[in-house]
Amino acid sequence: MSKLEVKNLHVAVVDEDKSLQKEILKGVDLTMNTGEIHAIMGPNGTGKSTLSQAIMGNPAYKVTEGDVLLDGKSLLEMPVDERARAGLFLAMQYPAEIAGVTNIEFMRAAINARRADDDQIPVLEFMKFLDKNLATLDMSDDMVERYLNEGFSGGEKKRNEILQLMMIQPKFAILDEIDSGLDIDALKVVSKGVNAMRGPEFGSLIITHYQRLLNYIVPDTVHVMMDGRIVESGGPELAEKLEAEGYAGVRDDLGLDVKLTDEI
Amino acid sequence: METQAEIDFQSAVSAFSAAHSEPDWLRNLRLDMLEKYPALALPKFEKIRYQRWPLTAAHQPTVQASAAADLATLDLDYAQAKNVLVTYGESVITSKLDPELAAQGVIFTDLFTAVRDYPELVEKYFMTTAVKPDANRLTAFHTAFLNGGAFLYVPKGVTIKEPIQGYYIQDSTRPQDFVQHVLVVADTNSQVTYSENYATVGTEANLANVVVEVVAADDAQVRFSAVDQFSAATTAYISRQGNLANDAKLDWAVGLMNDGNVVVDFNTDLVGHGAHTEVKVVAVTTGDQLQGIDTRVTNLGQHTIGHILQHGVILESSALIFNGVGHIVKGARGSDAQQESRVLMLSTHARGDANPILLIDENDVTAGHAASVGRVDEEQMYYLMSRGIDKKRAERLVIRGFLGNVLTEIPAKRVRDQLTATIERKLENGQKSE
Repeated sequence: MSKLEVKNLHVAVVDEDKSLQKEILKGVDLTMNTGEIHAIMGPNGTGKSTLSQAIMGNPAYKVTEGDVLLDGKSLLEMPVDERARAGLFLAMQYPAEIAGVTNIEFMRAAINARRADDDQIPVLEFMKFLDKNLATLDMSDDMVERYLNEGFSGGEKKRNEILQLMMIQPKFAILDEIDSGLDIDALKVVSKGVNAMRGPEFGSLIITHYQRLLNYIVPDTVHVMMDGRIVESGGPELAEKLEAEGYAGVRDDLGLDVKLTDEI
Repeated sequence: METQAEIDFQSAVSAFSAAHSEPDWLRNLRLDMLEKYPALALPKFEKIRYQRWPLTAAHQPTVQASAAADLATLDLDYAQAKNVLVTYGESVITSKLDPELAAQGVIFTDLFTAVRDYPELVEKYFMTTAVKPDANRLTAFHTAFLNGGAFLYVPKGVTIKEPIQGYYIQDSTRPQDFVQHVLVVADTNSQVTYSENYATVGTEANLANVVVEVVAADDAQVRFSAVDQFSAATTAYISRQGNLANDAKLDWAVGLMNDGNVVVDFNTDLVGHGAHTEVKVVAVTTGDQLQGIDTRVTNLGQHTIGHILQHGVILESSALIFNGVGHIVKGARGSDAQQESRVLMLSTHARGDANPILLIDENDVTAGHAASVGRVDEEQMYYLMSRGIDKKRAERLVIRGFLGNVLTEIPAKRVRDQLTATIERKLENGQKSE
């Protein structure tokens, strides 16, 4: 079993033009183990994506206080590739497009980066595993021969993120709004992929606006985030409550003095 | 009054020509150019400063053999090739041409054999059409000190399916100039794919002077690819010149993977109506070298098409300059000149330049250009690294993607794979000090 801990995490983004530093996360605490699925819900502009990028180690986000630990070891000094090899995965909201590098070549490089130089994955083994995962995600073979995300539709990109997740088999996967822009069929397919990963050696942190995704990937724990903090945690029923009352309702129940971005 | 050195060169050039049983026209041309070259101007290329390079510091031309065993270090892969010429220094190591092609009148042989066996045919095309001997100091020098090369002739109506391959290896195990001439003639309505490789054995600081001519007659189609890998100690002038008649097509795909200082002079003259060229160049520059690349297409005939695409990567404290020159002359109505030059800088010590130059003397044309000098995209790097790929490998992937649109244009898979491997080698070397 592995454990991912976020302790009193404060994160700021730096505006290069104005050389201003703006604090986005104001003390996030979160602990999860493999075998668990956690969901983080919250209104726009509340720091959900910032949390995912900070855990992964995006250099654009600056940790000003607190810590992120994997099995008790701090990740903060590790660059993003080391964190990935240590077992983290981030399915991104906006994956980069890279012309000239095929999807399949990229995935092999990612898998081989976790193996010794003299123990690279045999081609046949790789292809079998790939075919199996493609079938689960209802993706065609030609998707993997195409250049990485180049010219992919929004839905294709999301599926491709989940394909990578299934190929790489991380300990912890953070899914950042994997449901945005997906129709109901694509949502089911993506959920199927994530559910196929469920097991004692896998944990996931699912970031979403909507309860809908959580009908398909049922979480063990739901956290509500507002204004850079986790303000409430509970079981799957919390997501339903949010759906019924909206974020403003939860805020008012908790008596928080927080202005929501989309509030009229 | 002639100096002693010049007199010595005259007799040495004469003796060298005689030793190869060259016809009179070639010996006389050599001697004429030997006399003229010092007074001729060096070719001028925007922003490329190479004037002080030792490109005309000749050694006495003498006939000397090179040891084929040296080539083992290069790992050349030509055993399976049916049509291949391998030269090392002045020595011909292998010369093979499919007998069926020979029966159709195809000629592919080293230049000295060609001038002896086909003197009239060589004389008709040798520096008469694509480039003139006295075009500049370096072409004249080339003519005088020429000591190797090849001749490829494809007769009328002949289509060659298998690629023709040339490997021209510089012997720098000793002081010796490498002055190579490759003459490719595709006669009316013929088709050929030709690829060539240049490399160096040894560490001596020598000069290389390469002139390649491609003459494509009416309706001929030539696919030309090249990988140049001269050593760090070699200072090179590389000139590739094309001349296209009516509806001829010439596709260039060139990888400039040299390790030393190189000035590159590409020009394609679209002379005939409807002639078409696609020029694709990739370059990787490392160490403290300068690769200055001037790529020109001249639209002379009506409805001609000239496209230039150049992508380059600069590492360490090296410099790369891409000039793209599209020249449409008056009267070349309905012609099209397009170009794109892009440079990626991986180091803060690197210097790079991409200069688009359009010279348009005709109104009824289409023309366009794009140029950029940039750095590796941070988002792409973050994305690749977020999957566990280390920084250097991620960088090489991004770069390979960036060079990819030229790589995919190379017709022969073997050449493409070899160029990919060469790029990988050069990038890995360049990354060591980063």
